[in-house]
Amino acid sequence: MHEISLVRNIFKTLEAEFPDTYQNIRNIYLTAGELSNVQPILMKNAFDAVILDEPKYAKTILHVEVLPVIIYCDDCNQKTPVIQYKFICSICNKPSKNVIQGEELLISKVEFEK
Amino acid sequence: MSQPKSNRASVGSVQCENTTLNLLKANDFVAKAIKDKLLSHNILVLNVCSSPGSGKTTLMQETGKRLKNKLKLGVLVGDPETERDAIRIREAGIDCLQIVTGGMCHIEAQMILQALDHFDYKDLDILFIENVGNLVCPAAFDLGEDYRITLIATTEGDDKPKKYPRMFLTSELMVVSKSDLLPHVPFSIDAVTKDAREINPDLDVISISSLNGEGLDQWCNWLQEKVKQKKSQ
Repeated sequence: MHEISLVRNIFKTLEAEFPDTYQNIRNIYLTAGELSNVQPILMKNAFDAVILDEPKYAKTILHVEVLPVIIYCDDCNQKTPVIQYKFICSICNKPSKNVIQGEELLISKVEFEK
Repeated sequence: MSQPKSNRASVGSVQCENTTLNLLKANDFVAKAIKDKLLSHNILVLNVCSSPGSGKTTLMQETGKRLKNKLKLGVLVGDPETERDAIRIREAGIDCLQIVTGGMCHIEAQMILQALDHFDYKDLDILFIENVGNLVCPAAFDLGEDYRITLIATTEGDDKPKKYPRMFLTSELMVVSKSDLLPHVPFSIDAVTKDAREINPDLDVISISSLNGEGLDQWCNWLQEKVKQKKSQ
Protein backbone atom coordinates (compact mmCIF):
# COMPACT_ATOMS: atom_id res chain seq x y z
CA MET A 1 0.00 0.00 0.00
CA HIS A 2 2.77 2.43 0.85
CA GLU A 3 5.43 0.75 -1.28
CA ILE A 4 6.37 4.01 -3.00
CA SER A 5 7.12 5.68 0.32
CA LEU A 6 9.04 2.59 1.44
CA VAL A 7 11.20 2.82 -1.69
CA ARG A 8 11.85 6.50 -1.01
CA ASN A 9 12.71 5.52 2.56
CA ILE A 10 15.26 3.03 1.22
CA PHE A 11 16.96 5.79 -0.76
CA LYS A 12 16.87 8.23 2.16
CA THR A 13 18.33 5.60 4.49
CA LEU A 14 21.14 4.69 2.08
CA GLU A 15 22.00 8.32 1.36
CA ALA A 16 22.30 8.99 5.09
CA GLU A 17 24.39 5.87 5.71
CA PHE A 18 26.67 6.12 2.66
CA PRO A 19 26.74 9.86 1.86
CA ASP A 20 29.84 9.66 -0.34
CA THR A 21 29.29 6.37 -2.12
CA TYR A 22 25.55 5.80 -2.50
CA GLN A 23 25.73 6.61 -6.21
CA ASN A 24 27.84 3.47 -6.74
CA ILE A 25 25.22 1.17 -5.25
CA ARG A 26 24.15 -1.47 -7.77
CA ASN A 27 22.29 -4.06 -5.68
CA ILE A 28 20.09 -3.52 -2.65
CA TYR A 29 18.98 -6.53 -0.60
CA LEU A 30 15.84 -5.97 1.43
CA THR A 31 14.89 -8.41 4.17
CA ALA A 32 11.19 -8.30 5.00
CA GLY A 33 9.54 -10.41 7.69
CA GLU A 34 6.24 -11.99 6.74
CA LEU A 35 4.46 -9.71 9.23
CA SER A 36 5.79 -6.54 7.58
CA ASN A 37 3.14 -6.98 4.87
CA VAL A 38 5.72 -6.33 2.15
CA GLN A 39 5.02 -8.14 -1.11
CA PRO A 40 8.22 -8.61 -3.17
CA ILE A 41 6.57 -8.09 -6.58
CA LEU A 42 4.84 -4.88 -5.44
CA MET A 43 8.07 -3.55 -3.94
CA LYS A 44 9.94 -4.24 -7.17
CA ASN A 45 7.26 -2.54 -9.26
CA ALA A 46 7.33 0.48 -6.96
CA PHE A 47 11.12 0.52 -7.13
CA ASP A 48 11.07 0.50 -10.95
CA ALA A 49 8.52 3.33 -10.91
CA VAL A 50 10.48 5.50 -8.48
CA ILE A 51 13.83 5.16 -10.27
CA LEU A 52 12.25 6.70 -13.38
CA ASP A 53 12.34 9.95 -11.35
CA GLU A 54 15.69 9.14 -9.72
CA PRO A 55 18.15 8.54 -12.57
CA LYS A 56 21.04 8.15 -10.12
CA TYR A 57 19.56 4.76 -9.18
CA ALA A 58 18.89 3.70 -12.79
CA LYS A 59 21.52 0.95 -12.62
CA THR A 60 20.41 -0.32 -9.23
CA ILE A 61 18.44 -3.53 -8.65
CA LEU A 62 16.26 -4.28 -5.63
CA HIS A 63 16.20 -7.82 -4.24
CA VAL A 64 13.56 -8.72 -1.67
CA GLU A 65 13.74 -11.71 0.64
CA VAL A 66 10.75 -12.60 2.80
CA LEU A 67 11.48 -14.29 6.14
CA PRO A 68 8.94 -16.57 7.82
CA VAL A 69 7.65 -15.86 11.32
CA ILE A 70 9.55 -17.61 14.10
CA ILE A 71 8.61 -17.57 17.78
CA TYR A 72 10.54 -18.56 20.88
CA CYS A 73 9.04 -20.86 23.50
CA ASP A 74 10.17 -20.17 27.09
CA ASP A 75 9.22 -23.66 28.25
CA CYS A 76 11.02 -25.62 25.54
CA ASN A 77 13.81 -23.06 24.97
CA GLN A 78 13.22 -23.65 21.27
CA LYS A 79 12.59 -21.52 18.22
CA THR A 80 9.67 -22.79 16.16
CA PRO A 81 7.99 -21.55 12.98
CA VAL A 82 4.49 -20.07 12.99
CA ILE A 83 2.24 -22.02 10.62
CA GLN A 84 -0.94 -20.37 9.34
CA TYR A 85 -0.62 -17.60 11.91
CA LYS A 86 -1.09 -19.92 14.88
CA PHE A 87 1.28 -18.41 17.42
CA ILE A 88 1.85 -21.62 19.36
CA CYS A 89 5.02 -23.62 20.02
CA SER A 90 5.06 -26.51 17.57
CA ILE A 91 6.60 -28.78 20.23
CA CYS A 92 4.42 -28.18 23.31
CA ASN A 93 1.52 -26.15 21.78
CA LYS A 94 1.92 -23.38 24.36
CA PRO A 95 0.92 -19.94 22.99
CA SER A 96 3.80 -17.53 22.53
CA LYS A 97 3.91 -13.91 21.33
CA ASN A 98 7.68 -13.81 21.55
CA VAL A 99 8.34 -13.14 17.86
CA ILE A 100 12.07 -13.38 17.15
CA GLN A 101 11.78 -13.21 13.37
CA GLY A 102 9.09 -11.97 11.01
CA GLU A 103 8.53 -8.31 11.91
CA GLU A 104 11.74 -6.88 10.46
CA LEU A 105 12.08 -4.56 7.50
CA LEU A 106 15.79 -4.15 6.88
CA ILE A 107 18.30 -3.37 4.22
CA SER A 108 20.49 -6.38 4.91
CA LYS A 109 23.16 -5.91 2.23
CA VAL A 110 24.20 -3.45 -0.44
CA GLU A 111 26.68 -3.99 -3.24
CA PHE A 112 28.73 -1.17 -4.71
CA GLU A 113 30.41 -0.97 -8.08
CA LYS A 114 34.07 -0.39 -7.49
CA MET B 1 29.34 10.51 9.95
CA SER B 2 31.03 7.48 11.51
CA GLN B 3 31.67 4.42 9.43
CA PRO B 4 28.80 1.91 9.62
CA LYS B 5 29.46 -1.34 11.41
CA SER B 6 29.70 -3.83 8.61
CA ASN B 7 31.70 -6.67 7.15
CA ARG B 8 33.43 -5.61 3.99
CA ALA B 9 34.12 -8.33 1.43
CA SER B 10 35.04 -8.03 -2.20
CA VAL B 11 32.96 -10.09 -4.61
CA GLY B 12 34.28 -9.81 -8.17
CA SER B 13 34.14 -6.16 -9.06
CA VAL B 14 31.63 -5.29 -6.40
CA GLN B 15 32.14 -4.41 -2.80
CA CYS B 16 29.58 -5.75 -0.32
CA GLU B 17 28.28 -4.05 2.76
CA ASN B 18 26.31 -6.26 5.10
CA THR B 19 24.10 -3.93 7.07
CA THR B 20 21.08 -3.90 9.31
CA LEU B 21 19.51 -0.63 8.28
CA ASN B 22 16.00 -0.56 9.70
CA LEU B 23 13.60 1.20 7.34
CA LEU B 24 11.23 2.09 10.15
CA LYS B 25 14.02 3.40 12.39
CA ALA B 26 12.97 7.02 11.88
CA ASN B 27 9.39 6.26 12.91
CA ASP B 28 10.45 4.24 15.96
CA PHE B 29 12.77 7.07 17.02
CA VAL B 30 9.92 9.59 16.87
CA ALA B 31 7.57 7.18 18.70
CA LYS B 32 10.08 7.11 21.54
CA ALA B 33 10.13 10.93 21.55
CA ILE B 34 6.32 10.94 21.92
CA LYS B 35 6.55 8.55 24.88
CA ASP B 36 9.18 10.77 26.51
CA LYS B 37 7.09 13.90 25.95
CA LEU B 38 4.00 12.34 27.54
CA LEU B 39 5.77 10.41 30.30
CA SER B 40 5.47 12.94 33.12
CA HIS B 41 1.75 13.53 32.46
CA ASN B 42 0.61 9.90 33.01
CA ILE B 43 -1.67 9.97 29.97
CA LEU B 44 -3.07 6.68 28.71
CA VAL B 45 -2.43 6.71 24.95
CA LEU B 46 -4.59 4.39 22.84
CA ASN B 47 -4.11 3.77 19.12
CA VAL B 48 -7.55 2.82 17.74
CA CYS B 49 -7.43 0.90 14.45
CA SER B 50 -9.98 -0.77 12.18
CA SER B 51 -11.25 -1.02 8.62
CA PRO B 52 -13.08 2.05 7.29
CA GLY B 53 -16.65 2.25 8.52
CA SER B 54 -16.47 -0.11 11.49
CA GLY B 55 -17.51 2.59 13.93
CA LYS B 56 -14.39 4.17 15.45
CA THR B 57 -15.74 7.72 15.38
CA THR B 58 -19.18 6.70 16.65
CA LEU B 59 -17.50 4.84 19.51
CA MET B 60 -15.49 7.99 20.33
CA GLN B 61 -18.74 9.98 20.47
CA GLU B 62 -20.44 7.44 22.73
CA THR B 63 -17.37 7.21 24.95
CA GLY B 64 -17.41 10.99 25.30
CA LYS B 65 -21.07 11.03 26.37
CA ARG B 66 -20.44 8.42 29.06
CA LEU B 67 -17.02 9.40 30.40
CA LYS B 68 -16.52 13.13 29.84
CA ASN B 69 -17.60 13.98 33.39
CA LYS B 70 -15.31 11.34 34.89
CA LEU B 71 -12.21 11.54 32.72
CA LYS B 72 -10.54 14.19 30.57
CA LEU B 73 -10.51 12.81 27.02
CA GLY B 74 -8.79 13.98 23.87
CA VAL B 75 -8.78 12.58 20.35
CA LEU B 76 -6.34 12.94 17.47
CA VAL B 77 -8.15 11.62 14.41
CA GLY B 78 -6.44 10.73 11.16
CA ASP B 79 -8.06 10.63 7.74
CA PRO B 80 -6.69 10.94 4.23
CA GLU B 81 -8.96 13.98 3.67
CA THR B 82 -11.65 16.19 5.35
CA GLU B 83 -12.33 17.35 8.93
CA ARG B 84 -15.64 15.53 9.20
CA ASP B 85 -14.66 13.11 11.96
CA ALA B 86 -13.18 15.85 14.14
CA ILE B 87 -16.41 17.85 13.86
CA ARG B 88 -18.47 14.83 14.95
CA ILE B 89 -16.20 14.13 17.91
CA ARG B 90 -16.18 17.78 19.06
CA GLU B 91 -20.00 17.75 18.94
CA ALA B 92 -19.82 15.04 21.60
CA GLY B 93 -17.90 17.47 23.81
CA ILE B 94 -14.40 16.00 23.42
CA ASP B 95 -11.33 18.01 22.44
CA CYS B 96 -10.28 16.79 19.03
CA LEU B 97 -7.71 17.64 16.40
CA GLN B 98 -7.94 16.34 12.84
CA ILE B 99 -4.79 15.01 11.25
CA VAL B 100 -5.21 15.13 7.48
CA THR B 101 -2.70 12.62 6.17
CA GLY B 102 -2.90 13.93 2.61
CA GLY B 103 -3.85 10.63 1.05
CA MET B 104 -1.60 8.48 3.22
CA CYS B 105 -2.99 5.14 4.35
CA HIS B 106 -1.72 5.34 7.95
CA ILE B 107 -0.61 7.80 10.64
CA GLU B 108 3.15 8.05 11.25
CA ALA B 109 4.68 9.03 14.56
CA GLN B 110 5.93 12.34 13.13
CA MET B 111 2.31 13.44 12.52
CA ILE B 112 1.44 12.80 16.17
CA LEU B 113 4.48 14.65 17.46
CA GLN B 114 3.58 17.68 15.32
CA ALA B 115 -0.09 17.49 16.31
CA LEU B 116 0.84 17.58 20.01
CA ASP B 117 2.30 21.06 19.46
CA HIS B 118 -1.21 22.25 18.58
CA PHE B 119 -3.20 20.28 21.13
CA ASP B 120 -3.71 20.89 24.82
CA TYR B 121 -2.86 17.40 26.07
CA LYS B 122 -1.21 18.06 29.43
CA ASP B 123 -4.25 17.41 31.68
CA LEU B 124 -5.69 14.51 29.69
CA ASP B 125 -6.45 11.13 31.23
CA ILE B 126 -6.82 9.40 27.86
CA LEU B 127 -5.46 10.44 24.48
CA PHE B 128 -7.14 8.44 21.74
CA ILE B 129 -5.46 8.28 18.36
CA GLU B 130 -8.12 7.31 15.84
CA ASN B 131 -6.04 5.86 13.04
CA VAL B 132 -6.82 5.84 9.32
CA GLY B 133 -9.29 3.07 8.48
CA ASN B 134 -6.98 0.29 7.29
CA LEU B 135 -5.95 -3.02 8.89
CA VAL B 136 -2.65 -3.35 7.01
CA CYS B 137 -0.28 -0.37 7.11
CA PRO B 138 -1.11 1.14 10.54
CA ALA B 139 0.05 -2.14 12.11
CA ALA B 140 3.67 -1.35 11.22
CA PHE B 141 3.82 2.15 12.73
CA ASP B 142 4.35 2.60 16.46
CA LEU B 143 2.80 5.92 17.53
CA GLY B 144 4.14 5.85 21.08
CA GLU B 145 0.88 4.37 22.37
CA ASP B 146 0.40 2.30 25.52
CA TYR B 147 -2.05 -0.02 23.80
CA ARG B 148 -3.45 -0.68 20.38
CA ILE B 149 -7.18 -1.37 20.13
CA THR B 150 -8.69 -2.94 17.02
CA LEU B 151 -12.36 -2.70 16.12
CA ILE B 152 -14.00 -5.27 13.91
CA ALA B 153 -17.63 -4.79 12.89
CA THR B 154 -20.03 -7.72 12.67
CA THR B 155 -20.71 -6.66 9.07
CA GLU B 156 -17.07 -7.26 8.09
CA GLY B 157 -17.05 -11.01 8.54
CA ASP B 158 -15.41 -13.00 11.32
CA ASP B 159 -12.44 -14.06 9.19
CA LYS B 160 -10.52 -10.78 9.56
CA PRO B 161 -7.97 -11.72 12.28
CA LYS B 162 -6.31 -14.42 10.18
CA LYS B 163 -6.26 -12.12 7.15
CA TYR B 164 -4.61 -9.25 9.01
CA PRO B 165 -2.56 -11.09 11.65
CA ARG B 166 -0.10 -8.36 12.55
CA MET B 167 -2.83 -5.96 13.62
CA PHE B 168 -4.34 -8.52 15.99
CA LEU B 169 -0.92 -9.72 17.19
CA THR B 170 -0.06 -6.23 18.39
CA SER B 171 -3.46 -5.31 19.89
CA GLU B 172 -4.38 -5.42 23.57
CA LEU B 173 -8.12 -5.37 22.96
CA MET B 174 -10.44 -6.39 20.13
CA VAL B 175 -13.76 -4.57 20.12
CA VAL B 176 -16.48 -6.31 18.12
CA SER B 177 -18.74 -3.45 17.04
CA LYS B 178 -22.30 -3.30 15.67
CA SER B 179 -23.39 -6.23 17.85
CA ASP B 180 -27.01 -5.11 17.32
CA LEU B 181 -26.71 -6.57 13.81
CA LEU B 182 -25.67 -10.05 14.99
CA PRO B 183 -29.14 -11.57 14.37
CA HIS B 184 -28.95 -10.43 10.73
CA VAL B 185 -25.38 -11.22 9.66
CA PRO B 186 -23.36 -14.46 9.45
CA PHE B 187 -20.84 -13.47 12.13
CA SER B 188 -19.79 -15.56 15.11
CA ILE B 189 -18.18 -13.88 18.12
CA ASP B 190 -16.87 -17.28 19.23
CA ALA B 191 -15.23 -17.88 15.83
CA VAL B 192 -13.63 -14.43 15.64
CA THR B 193 -12.39 -14.72 19.23
CA LYS B 194 -10.92 -18.19 18.59
CA ASP B 195 -9.09 -17.03 15.45
CA ALA B 196 -7.82 -13.84 17.08
CA ARG B 197 -6.58 -15.69 20.19
CA GLU B 198 -4.68 -18.19 18.03
CA ILE B 199 -2.67 -15.15 16.94
CA ASN B 200 -2.68 -13.37 20.28
CA PRO B 201 -3.65 -15.48 23.31
CA ASP B 202 -3.69 -12.48 25.66
CA LEU B 203 -6.18 -10.46 23.59
CA ASP B 204 -9.14 -8.98 25.51
CA VAL B 205 -12.45 -9.08 23.64
CA ILE B 206 -15.46 -6.80 24.19
CA SER B 207 -18.60 -6.83 22.08
CA ILE B 208 -20.43 -3.49 21.76
CA SER B 209 -23.20 -1.67 19.96
CA SER B 210 -22.89 2.11 19.83
CA LEU B 211 -26.50 2.17 18.57
CA ASN B 212 -28.25 0.43 21.47
CA GLY B 213 -25.52 0.80 24.10
CA GLU B 214 -24.86 -2.89 24.61
CA GLY B 215 -21.37 -3.56 25.99
CA LEU B 216 -20.49 0.11 26.39
CA ASP B 217 -20.36 -0.16 30.18
CA GLN B 218 -17.84 -2.96 29.84
CA TRP B 219 -15.83 -0.82 27.36
CA CYS B 220 -15.88 2.18 29.72
CA ASN B 221 -14.84 -0.05 32.65
CA TRP B 222 -11.92 -1.38 30.58
CA LEU B 223 -10.82 2.20 29.88
CA GLN B 224 -11.15 3.29 33.50
CA GLU B 225 -9.19 0.24 34.69
CA LYS B 226 -6.36 1.01 32.24
CA VAL B 227 -6.33 4.68 33.33
CA LYS B 228 -6.05 3.54 36.96
CA GLN B 229 -3.14 1.24 36.09
CA LYS B 230 -1.43 4.06 34.17
CA LYS B 231 -1.76 6.51 37.08
CA SER B 232 -0.31 4.01 39.53
CA GLN B 233 2.76 3.29 37.41
